[in-house]
Amino acid sequence: MLLAITALLTLGAAQAPTPAASATVDVVQILRDSDRLRGGLKDGITWSIDVESTEDGVTTKASYLVRSRGDDALAETLAPPRSKGEKMLFNDRTLWFLKPGLKKPVSISARQKLSGQAANGDIASTNYARDYDATLAGEDPVDGVPCWRLELKAKAGNVTYDRIRYWVAKDQRRALKAEFLTVSGELFKTATFAYGNVVTLAGAPVDFIKAMTIKDAMGSGASSVLRFGSPKSEAHAPSVFNVNNVVR
Amino acid sequence: MNHAWQLALKNLRRNRRRNVATAVSIALGFGGLVLIGGYAVRVERFLRTNTVYLQQTGHLSIYKEGGLERGTAQPATYALSAEEQQVIATVLSARPEVEFFGRHLVGMGLAGNGCTTLPFAALGVEPGVQARALTHPEVLLASPELSRPVKGELIARYPAVEGAVALSAGLAELLGKTRVHDEVPAAAAQAEVVLPDCTTKEGRGALAHDANVQLAGLTWSGSMSAVDTEVVNVFHTPLAETDDGTVVASLQTLQSLYDTDAISYLSVYLRDARDTSRMRGIIEDAIRAAGVPVRAYTFDDERVGPYYAGTMPFLSSLVGFIGLLVAAVVVLSIVNAMTLSILERTRELGMLRALGFNRRQVLGLCLREAALLTALAVGVGLLIALCVAAMVNNGNVRFSPPGVPGTIQFMLTPTPALCAALAAFIVPLSVAAAWLAVRRTTRAGIVSLLSSHSS
Repeated sequence: MLLAITALLTLGAAQAPTPAASATVDVVQILRDSDRLRGGLKDGITWSIDVESTEDGVTTKASYLVRSRGDDALAETLAPPRSKGEKMLFNDRTLWFLKPGLKKPVSISARQKLSGQAANGDIASTNYARDYDATLAGEDPVDGVPCWRLELKAKAGNVTYDRIRYWVAKDQRRALKAEFLTVSGELFKTATFAYGNVVTLAGAPVDFIKAMTIKDAMGSGASSVLRFGSPKSEAHAPSVFNVNNVVR
Repeated sequence: MNHAWQLALKNLRRNRRRNVATAVSIALGFGGLVLIGGYAVRVERFLRTNTVYLQQTGHLSIYKEGGLERGTAQPATYALSAEEQQVIATVLSARPEVEFFGRHLVGMGLAGNGCTTLPFAALGVEPGVQARALTHPEVLLASPELSRPVKGELIARYPAVEGAVALSAGLAELLGKTRVHDEVPAAAAQAEVVLPDCTTKEGRGALAHDANVQLAGLTWSGSMSAVDTEVVNVFHTPLAETDDGTVVASLQTLQSLYDTDAISYLSVYLRDARDTSRMRGIIEDAIRAAGVPVRAYTFDDERVGPYYAGTMPFLSSLVGFIGLLVAAVVVLSIVNAMTLSILERTRELGMLRALGFNRRQVLGLCLREAALLTALAVGVGLLIALCVAAMVNNGNVRFSPPGVPGTIQFMLTPTPALCAALAAFIVPLSVAAAWLAVRRTTRAGIVSLLSSHSS
């Protein structure tokens, strides 16, 4: 009950920021709110993610069933058939790759290429509030929607991106656009976020992320689209994300 | 003619002290050249063997057109397909100059031990071909240290071990894999793998209980992949900078990891390394004529064997400069000795002219003396050099060459061809020096020679 009330209060704040709140913007809270709408639910979520990448004129597709809970996530490959059963386990900031028959999991990097322009971290690392130090850099409209422009700097070296320019809509605190930069500040990828899924949180429907389009900013024309389907708020037991259990 | 040589030999017995001093000078100079040459031969053979057999470039590396430059970035586009491999194999098998050849796949990825992963560069080999290359007589002669694994045996000795791989010594240490397959008790090897607790010292220590390593990488179609492997040997790479991140696996294992049946290149081993440049064009043309667009590269091409290509010019110029200095000392010794000898024997030469010897015969006599003295000195110098080389080689003096992990034996390997070439260089050089010294004196008239007060 307490949890439900807290969620309602948080959601309420997200949907209707007051002028006073705008004057003294809590950027960490903005990140937390935007993370929630991109899948960062504390109790857990289950959804499917289809990744379609186009690179050098070749299009590849892959599908994952993703279960996440707080800082952990488990992504199981559903397609293509040769990769079926492979799993990626995100334990906090550690990422494990597992496949049927493999004796031990392999620790891999969230930055490593998953498919096309999508990095491994893109399918599960939604916790920007935990991984990045944020500062408010200004206010810009994105497609006519008033947004805060945040500058995010990685707190650790093992997160997906070193630096992010991040646009979050003021009205519902939805992230609308991101620019991913190298540690030296060079832009190498851009992303846009589309919403349209509905998830019921604490009894109330919430507009949830539906697609993330990542494009190469270096001129290759390569792009990846992550389509998020059938999101369902679901409490997962911690054992689901225990690497020893996943290996078995 | 024989009489002239006998006379020259008799003359050498006069002024023994000076002639012995000159002979010693030539002998030491020649011996020095032989030893320097022996060192150069040793280093060249070491570098060539490392490049050709240990790095498995072969005397010739055959890539698909553009594969050497762009194969890493676009492996699927610039690899040799199974059909192309068959065509190339047919062409190579028909060439008697080709001793053997092997197929290779190169790739990158992460090697994991259940706790951590480290980047690696992998070379896929055909185990039988690798064993043949690493036990080649050239290798056993020039680089036996690097051809033998530090631990374990070559992959070819483990046909029953699935995913048998070799790790470079640095990578094995970083992964905590201190034991290879042969050192792991059979019961432990067959036991169910338990994930170590990577947060504790005991857990990290448990990494050495098995020889199991996971290799992960992106398939050529771009998806994540991983394979289980078993470390059967640990080896030193020919270059120190690659010792912390090299994996050698069977071609089959790497093809499974990258999900392909293609290869990156073929290494071609020739019966005679001196045929390399000639065969490059012949083999390349033959394969292209068979319909496969390839490029063949020689092992001394800096794109294939940068260490060899970068080191040899430096070594050649260094040895050449030292050889030039030694040769200059020999020439000056001869000129000095012959000048003094002629000055002392001016009246004797006048006597010979008075007895009927013409200028040419007198000059010939002096040159024969020089040739005999040099030949004698060369024989002694060769003996000295071979003794020194034998002592050095038997002394097992070891050193760490720059850029090479571990130590190798300091060896001097003067070859018969080198000794013959140096002798063929030094004898005419000495005769030429003698000619320079005596030609002016022998041109003088008989009276002038007889009235000389030099002797």
